[in-house]
Amino acid sequence: MSDKKIKNIFVNGAISPSFISESIAKHSSKTEIGGHSIFLGQVRKDEIDGKSVSAIEYTAFEDLALEKMHEIRENIFEKYPLSCMHIYQSLGRVSAGEICLFVFTSSAHRKPAINACEEVVERLKAELPIWGKELFEDGSHQWKENK
Amino acid sequence: MEIELLSFGKIAEFITIKKLSIDGISDTDGLKKYLEDKFPQLSEIKYKLAVDKQIIQKNRIITDQATVAIMPPFSGG
Repeated sequence: MSDKKIKNIFVNGAISPSFISESIAKHSSKTEIGGHSIFLGQVRKDEIDGKSVSAIEYTAFEDLALEKMHEIRENIFEKYPLSCMHIYQSLGRVSAGEICLFVFTSSAHRKPAINACEEVVERLKAELPIWGKELFEDGSHQWKENK
Repeated sequence: MEIELLSFGKIAEFITIKKLSIDGISDTDGLKKYLEDKFPQLSEIKYKLAVDKQIIQKNRIITDQATVAIMPPFSGG
């Protein structure tokens, strides 16, 4: 593992559309970039046995998740010629319809950005110790399972 | 020996203790068996252990004062 600083990816609550647009705007000075790829995860109002999900409450084993994310980030930078990569995952409560995951990759040409973005999303979901608790409107809950 | 326990997700709903005093257990296989006997619900679900922030893939020695995390399947994103 390199001695690069471990970045935080966690934000409290939903990720706002204005935060996302500001992130995009910040890249206008990086003129070597020719393509961005963005994945946004949104809390889905699933219906289960007649009850609908009103929010997801996220918790994580934060230390381990950040170490693992650091490792994934290093792997991805080795594998793809990226200019930059930004990852944000919500913790705490995020209501249905709000954004809970924001992955943003940029490269000179589109393919590395697109492929890296997809790989980060897949690996984050499979490898990071994060848990979503689906809260129903009636106060009950169930634990989310990733497909 | 004494170990510190961290429980997450649905496991945190039925394993709420933070410390465990155990004798005669020296590795993660032994600890799993102990935990599944003590908390039968654990044997019904998939979970992984992490010892001192290392996710356990195969049996490993546990030493006194280790921190052991008990983690159900991940569901971030």
